[in-house]
Amino acid sequence: MATAARQPRPETLPDLFSKALSDRLKLLLVYAILIIATVQTIYPLFWMVFGSLKTDADLFNNVWGPPRTMIWQNYVDAWRIADLGARIGNSIIITALSLTVLLIVSSIAAYALARLQFPGRQAIFLIILATMMIPPEVTVIPLFIVVRTLGILNSRFGLVFVYAGTSMAFSIFLLRGFFMSIPPELEDAALVDGANRLQVFWYVVLPLARPGLATVAIFQGMFFWNEFFLAFIFIRQAELQTIPLGLVNFFYRYSADWTLYFAALSMVTIPVIVLYVGMQRWFIEGLTAGAVKS
Amino acid sequence: MRTNETAAGSASVKRKRYPRVYRHLSAYMMMTPAIILLIIFVIIPIIYGFYLSFHRWDGFNSPVFIGTRNYIRLIERDDVFLKAVTNTIIFAISVVLVKNVLGLFLALLVNQKIKGVIFFRTALFLPVTLSFVVIGLLWSWIYNPTFGLLNAGLELVGLDSWIRAWLSDQATALGAIITVDIWKWTGFHMVLFLAGLQSIPRDLYEVAIIDGASAWTRLTRITLPLLAPVTFISVLLSLNGAFVRNFELVFVMTDGGPNHTTEVVLTHLVTQAFRFGKLGYASAMGFALFVVVAVIAFTYIRIGRSGAYNF
Repeated sequence: MATAARQPRPETLPDLFSKALSDRLKLLLVYAILIIATVQTIYPLFWMVFGSLKTDADLFNNVWGPPRTMIWQNYVDAWRIADLGARIGNSIIITALSLTVLLIVSSIAAYALARLQFPGRQAIFLIILATMMIPPEVTVIPLFIVVRTLGILNSRFGLVFVYAGTSMAFSIFLLRGFFMSIPPELEDAALVDGANRLQVFWYVVLPLARPGLATVAIFQGMFFWNEFFLAFIFIRQAELQTIPLGLVNFFYRYSADWTLYFAALSMVTIPVIVLYVGMQRWFIEGLTAGAVKS
Repeated sequence: MRTNETAAGSASVKRKRYPRVYRHLSAYMMMTPAIILLIIFVIIPIIYGFYLSFHRWDGFNSPVFIGTRNYIRLIERDDVFLKAVTNTIIFAISVVLVKNVLGLFLALLVNQKIKGVIFFRTALFLPVTLSFVVIGLLWSWIYNPTFGLLNAGLELVGLDSWIRAWLSDQATALGAIITVDIWKWTGFHMVLFLAGLQSIPRDLYEVAIIDGASAWTRLTRITLPLLAPVTFISVLLSLNGAFVRNFELVFVMTDGGPNHTTEVVLTHLVTQAFRFGKLGYASAMGFALFVVVAVIAFTYIRIGRSGAYNF
């Protein structure tokens, strides 16, 4: 406020004129950069959809533009040959089960860490912090042996537990933060009324922690849905493959059906894009909140 | 701090109502499922991987202890591994730098009150939601020499001499893959920086303008210092993935070729383990990677704790 006393330099008329002009130019430059950035982000996706509706000849001779005739048959063929129905089913099952296991197990543990005092709490939290930064990729060989020993190699069930287990630390860390930001007075009131901890957790805390659970669900759900590396190592049977595995498989089996590849890719990508555009606020918050929270 | 105190406060309420043993028992019961999963899928693999890295093992017969020979062989006799390490480092450094610089730059642009800014934000974030496989396949077609978008685009603007088979050319293959990873993640870092920018109080800028500070001074004296915590997190996140989240793109786009110019540690590891059955040797690679990732993360957090928050 003290500085407010100092007057800005008085501007003469030509000054004002050139300032307005340079502001205009600056705005133009900003738009130019943003439009270029956006086009190079989005055009490849339009191109993918264009390609999915072209004939082979159209794809090779008319690289840039929209299709001259729409070949919807590409979608029918790609769906059948890539067996997309089964792959989508597998992805849905694996993502849903992994999320269920992860959310239940991690939220209960996170709540205990956030609210209860018990010997070893600090040590457990430190281990969770330390392992959070270790990506499962670096331990994939011993993880493979562990999964083989448990007899859950090549099963949806096995992959579900690998996903839930390797995302556990991060999920606990995030949810613990959410639980700690909920005022404990409500829980204390319920405890005084004679509810036990699990009842308090279920009826009082979880409803309040819904945004936190949504964040974890979106963040990890996207991760499970898109995951390739672990699925590639632990699932070898064609019938059990998820969408990313199925796409790679399809791509390597048929080497010249380009328009069908475009169609298959469009079919798995368009729903994700639609979902994202419809729920963009949730997506953007969910995918970045984890980072901002920590 | 506040939450710690209140947590202790709620504990004292409980203490009156429940016997000590019961209280601890329920806490441990709540922790048990999570701890079992963590032990099986995270902690045992780390320890077991360390053990395996000192053995020769095909995965079926019993492991043979060979001391540090796996590690010696990695450093002295495996040219492909050394190439993979170099590529992994090049990949990591370039993606961390470019994603964050571009992300910050775009965040500054979309932080202005201009028309259509929500559309730009939404569009630029879009690739974050797509899988590496989808993006890897799409871009390998964009780079395709016969019907690829990139070569067609270069032709259109008259840069015919740049046209090449991007992914099978040894000079450009690695760069082409790095570009795709940056393309996928820049929007993510943009949103992180945007959140940081929006938490800076407006009146700081108003005061600075009245004081006659130029746009550049405002950027370097107000914006960047106050963005330090966000920058710290943004760099940490990109750094953490940079050494390991490269398998999918490489596998889908080039499978390590041509002539190992795009080989990264993880693709080499998977080849050695699952194509040649050298599980002990691959474990040594995995453990080396584990040490690198862990050391970088912890050093960075150490430095960050002491530096970034104390502007």
